[in-house]
Amino acid sequence: MLMCRDLARIASDYIDGELGTMDRVSVKMHLLMCGHCRTFIGNLRASIDLMKAHSSQQVDEELVHRIDSRIKERLDAQRSRKNDSE
Amino acid sequence: METAKHQSDEDILINGLKSGDQAAFHEAVRLYTPGMLAVARFYLDPSSAEETVQDCWVTVIDAIQKFEGRSGLKTWLHRIVANRAKNHLRKTKREVSSDFSETLDPELADRFAHNGRWATPPGLKSNESAQALMENGALSDCLDQHLAALPETQRSALMLYEAHQHKSDDVCNILDVSASNLRVLLHRARQRIFLMVETFQETGEC
Ligand SMILES: [Zn+2]
Repeated sequence: MLMCRDLARIASDYIDGELGTMDRVSVKMHLLMCGHCRTFIGNLRASIDLMKAHSSQQVDEELVHRIDSRIKERLDAQRSRKNDSE
Repeated sequence: METAKHQSDEDILINGLKSGDQAAFHEAVRLYTPGMLAVARFYLDPSSAEETVQDCWVTVIDAIQKFEGRSGLKTWLHRIVANRAKNHLRKTKREVSSDFSETLDPELADRFAHNGRWATPPGLKSNESAQALMENGALSDCLDQHLAALPETQRSALMLYEAHQHKSDDVCNILDVSASNLRVLLHRARQRIFLMVETFQETGEC
């Protein structure tokens, strides 16, 4: 018999559709009988959605600026080398 | 025609990069640096990771000429970072250590009774959508804090899989982990976020 703790261990696999048929059926049976685990799966799903919505991540502007400068330096150097050879 | 249009945005960007257009580089740097950092931080400490990502961008100036678009720009960039980070790791002889043996977060594990049933069941279900919840700035800040506190390996796996929506195969490839270990990293990270959201909803505090 699948217990709540067992279900918690494989909850992500269930959500992502990574479980084999037998395990998936066990989870579904358990969820029919257990409100706590239904809440758990629902809330875990909600956290995943939250994580996805959040990940319109902020960019570290200072780092972007530093990278931009290094790229500019390199591009300028390439261009002047090209001009010299022409 | 949908996919053709979708592809052309990236194609335009790639052509810009190939011709050495600075504006194109700026756009690409803004777009792809967060994901590249997530990859680098899987292997390296934060400052080495930043340095590695910077160095990668400089190499991209030349390497982009050989980019054939088979893998998509994002995956290609993430692989470059992963290879460079792995080389760096080899030089410093540091090892990425991670415990893949336990899939349950210890804090969550404590909430089950001996018979395997919930002793402290999950809090009430929230009916608000993720989008609505994210408009709560305090929750968003709290999420940032908790993401920052995750072990690097878990955070990288979560970012690549969830935020940057790589396929499992790509994440395994980039992070050099087996499929089953990726499952552990993801599940552990998600449990931390679950616990954080629960506390936040119950107490209004991070
Ligand atoms: Zn249950």
